[in-house]
Amino acid sequence: MTSNPNNITVKVDRVSKSFGDFTAVKDLTLAVRAGRIFGLLGPNGAGKSTSIRMIVNITAPDSGSIELFGQKINSRIQDRIGYLPEERGLYKSMKVGEQLRFFAQLKNVTGKDALQRIDTWLDRLKLSEWKQKKTRDLSKGMQQKIQFISAVLHDPDLIILDEPFSGLDPLNVELLTDVVLNLKRAGKTVIFSTHAMDIAEKICDDICLINRSRKVFDGSIREVKKSFGRNLIALRVEGTNGNLAASRLVSNVEHHSDEMEVLLATNADPQEFLKELIASGAVVTKFEMIEPSLHDIFIEKVSETQ
Amino acid sequence: MTKLLAIIKREWTQRVRARMFIITTVMLPLAMIMFAIAPALVLRIDSGNPMRIVVVDGTGKLLPRLKTSLNGDDAASDPEANVATRANSIASGRSSDFIFEQLQTAGRSEDDIKAELETRLRDKEIDAYLILPPDLMQTSKAQFFRRNTSDLISTRKIRDALDGALRTQRLVEAKVDPRTIGQLDRSVDFETTRISGAGRERDAGGAFALVFLVGFVMYISILLYGQIVLGAVIEEKETRIAEVLFSSVRPFTLMTGKLLGVSLVALTQLTIWGVAFAGFALYGVSVLNSRGIPTRLPSIPLLFYVYFTVFFLAGYFVYATMYALLGSIVTTAQEGGQAAMPIIMLLVISFYLFLPVSRNPDSAVSFWLSMIPFFAPTSMLVRIVTQTPPLWQIALSLVISLSTVAALTWLTAKVYRVGMLMYGKRASIPEVVRWVRT
Repeated sequence: MTSNPNNITVKVDRVSKSFGDFTAVKDLTLAVRAGRIFGLLGPNGAGKSTSIRMIVNITAPDSGSIELFGQKINSRIQDRIGYLPEERGLYKSMKVGEQLRFFAQLKNVTGKDALQRIDTWLDRLKLSEWKQKKTRDLSKGMQQKIQFISAVLHDPDLIILDEPFSGLDPLNVELLTDVVLNLKRAGKTVIFSTHAMDIAEKICDDICLINRSRKVFDGSIREVKKSFGRNLIALRVEGTNGNLAASRLVSNVEHHSDEMEVLLATNADPQEFLKELIASGAVVTKFEMIEPSLHDIFIEKVSETQ
Repeated sequence: MTKLLAIIKREWTQRVRARMFIITTVMLPLAMIMFAIAPALVLRIDSGNPMRIVVVDGTGKLLPRLKTSLNGDDAASDPEANVATRANSIASGRSSDFIFEQLQTAGRSEDDIKAELETRLRDKEIDAYLILPPDLMQTSKAQFFRRNTSDLISTRKIRDALDGALRTQRLVEAKVDPRTIGQLDRSVDFETTRISGAGRERDAGGAFALVFLVGFVMYISILLYGQIVLGAVIEEKETRIAEVLFSSVRPFTLMTGKLLGVSLVALTQLTIWGVAFAGFALYGVSVLNSRGIPTRLPSIPLLFYVYFTVFFLAGYFVYATMYALLGSIVTTAQEGGQAAMPIIMLLVISFYLFLPVSRNPDSAVSFWLSMIPFFAPTSMLVRIVTQTPPLWQIALSLVISLSTVAALTWLTAKVYRVGMLMYGKRASIPEVVRWVRT
């Protein structure tokens, strides 16, 4: 594996793409680091799929450049990519095993090697008994898993999944999430697009939010959350006079049944606040920094740019 | 290259194993056989009952002659009749198809007779009546009445027979020697011999059958496999398989793989037909010969099979690339079916051109038709079968066809790579033109 010096697997530089009058992607710049899971988030029609299609070299950008593994896309590089498109497509009348063999051949994986991998993957995704069945006899969820296998069968270094979890039941979502995490553990780079924020939150290392064909923000999930940090603390204390609002560190207090939500003043240090509490003789039974969920951030940013 | 081979292989194995392939392989020859023998069979069925005709012979001389003329040389009653006549009599209905009844008309008025005969006709006692007026010899005017006037074959037979009877009677009355009349009546024994570079051979209509067969098989195969290409392209677009494939192979590779794969399926089917046809022909001829019916096949030189294959492939690729282009523009199979009409029209025209070309294979028109790539497969092949043109013409036609294929492939690839990823609506012509330009 040729890893490039700065460990960037995918580099998208000021890429734009329009279809007629419609601008699908405008000035998109992003970098996907090797060995990490990168979430491409955004509402429907934001330009996620078009961006992905350009990365996998299905459509060419109007302007800007894309580099994979430090090189311009070429057919050898294409073999190192696994792609699961948003619109699933399988040959309905082909048997599952044959179909996977065909897709493997298209990635230059042939012979016994291919057969072995097919069996391994079918087993891993609990589809072994369907190997000799025709694709049209499979449920939609199963077909989706078959399609997923076709994207990872050739052991690609970069796996690009467009909405991989849509239409799957919770059990299969769990199964596929595990598989994706395993791929990361094996050193693979994964890009996936979704609007399921809970899953993105669970497995992404880095994210990029796109809305109306432009990037809204990107960065590691930690950084993003931090930049959205509102210094909100869930607090349960005993033995305090309750006059927390008097502190210069606090800007607002909201009382719930047995706990409260304390919003700290701008630039106030939560540690300072905790010290102050303890010094005041209060017994702290709960002190939790509430991070904004990806869901909240998504809603906030998307409605802001709407 | 591995990828291209994988695509070709998938296309071939999937299609050859499909039920559709087996059905067309078996059904098409059967359908053609049906087309060939059905008319003869149907005529035999219809001639089950002989036609009952009442003749009012005002001349008093013509009826016997009419009878001999129609039923006289009755092949069925003559065991020694030669096979050709017997075969003819099967094709044209049995000879003794007519029963004549002479109506005595002494003293009755014409209207009276007609009224009586009309009643009998309506009661289905008789099928027709023929009135030969006394002055027929001079006026040549006869009247024929029947219930069913759409049976042109019988009507024409009777007319021809009456013609013959009248001529003979006139000759007799002109005091011509009966032997001379016999000689005059002998129709020509027309033996056609085809002279070609290969030598000379007797031809009893077999060549025309061959031309028709060749033109038809060519037309039907190109149509069939063009439609298969159309369906295959639309399937990959509709199911979005193209998108997955494009992430692994270049659109051009996928397209050519598809075209080549389907062409191999076509060649497989044609080979099966060819072998089966040759087998049947040889077997059939040997059976006929062993029963004392001398039969010969029009000899087909081996080179002809080569020409057929080459021109089939040229025609297939011309039409299949157009079908592929169309398939990548439309969004559904129905839409594709409608949009394919102009291509089908072109194919139908190319088929019917076998008629003028086979009549005049060396004319300027035939020459130019066989140079137009859309018509070349049928026209040139018909020319080769009928009157093989000089080699340079065959080569030129092929070169033009192959250049067209190259140009169409280039054009189609440009449209295909964009069109296959365009969902939602059918692309407009200006859009397609833009794809080609970029």
